[in-house]
Amino acid sequence: MKILTISILIATSVATAAAHPVAFEGAYQLMFGTVGSVQTFELYRSYSPRAAFGLHAMRFDGDEDEYFAGIQHNWLLNRWNFPSAQANVYAGLGAGLAGETGNGVSPAGIGFFRADYETRRIYTALDAKWVESLVVSRGIFSASVGIAPYKAEFEQLNTWLIIQVEHVTGMEDPIEIIPKVRFFKGPYFIELGSTLRGKPVVNFMIHF
Amino acid sequence: MKILSAISILALSVTIANAAPDRVVTVKTTVNGMVCSFCAQGILAHFKKHPAVSNVYVDLTRKLVLLEERQGKSITDEEITDSIKRSGFEAVKVERLEGSFEQAKAD
Repeated sequence: MKILTISILIATSVATAAAHPVAFEGAYQLMFGTVGSVQTFELYRSYSPRAAFGLHAMRFDGDEDEYFAGIQHNWLLNRWNFPSAQANVYAGLGAGLAGETGNGVSPAGIGFFRADYETRRIYTALDAKWVESLVVSRGIFSASVGIAPYKAEFEQLNTWLIIQVEHVTGMEDPIEIIPKVRFFKGPYFIELGSTLRGKPVVNFMIHF
Repeated sequence: MKILSAISILALSVTIANAAPDRVVTVKTTVNGMVCSFCAQGILAHFKKHPAVSNVYVDLTRKLVLLEERQGKSITDEEITDSIKRSGFEAVKVERLEGSFEQAKAD
């Protein structure tokens, strides 16, 4: 049953916008979802508060479907803990296999960079991710700005209203504007939204 | 008479000294960077595992982590600071309170 559940999650999974590359020491973080034409599945173990290692799979839904699956290491390069804010810079590198439907697979590399700044009312993030192989070459770039309509306490439901602008190189719709709403409570996190072209956005994340 | 008084004071001191470790202590830690409850789950996870901690409360507004020690057990300031760091945050001040855990939550 667990394998079936995980398979379904992989099959329906997505995007990088909710990415939380490194969590607290000892945590597993599972992230999956879909944003526009990109689906992502990520599972990492944070073996220190500044580093995590795990699995990353992506699917690009274009004229020909493209895939990447591999292992990845994430680093928290720097964190600024202010009294009422936090800022982070992350980077990651990975390796695996990438392919295109009907065109075989080849060794591939993946890399990302992320910077974010957050208070209890304001959220901003910049993300860049690259996948490169002989047959697959994609870049995903996004910027997000969000506000919280209220300051949620630790045990309350947190709500965020976020606008994300995302560009995926080589796709039919090069720039997507994505309004979405983010909820989290305890170790559970979900984002729901849609691109302005009507493609659904769903991201889920859990720490355990 | 003086000897009797001295013995009584000594006996009382020994009693108080022995009783002190059994007092339930509330520890208040001021933490920087704690702006998101999803990101602060590690604080709960780490302190819940500590054998000397019976209760954990995170207050994002006051930027506090409150710990209630188990009777007769103690968590050191270094352990608190380290757990906060391993959760991704920065402890800036650790204080031992006279009042109860529930009182500290309500303050």
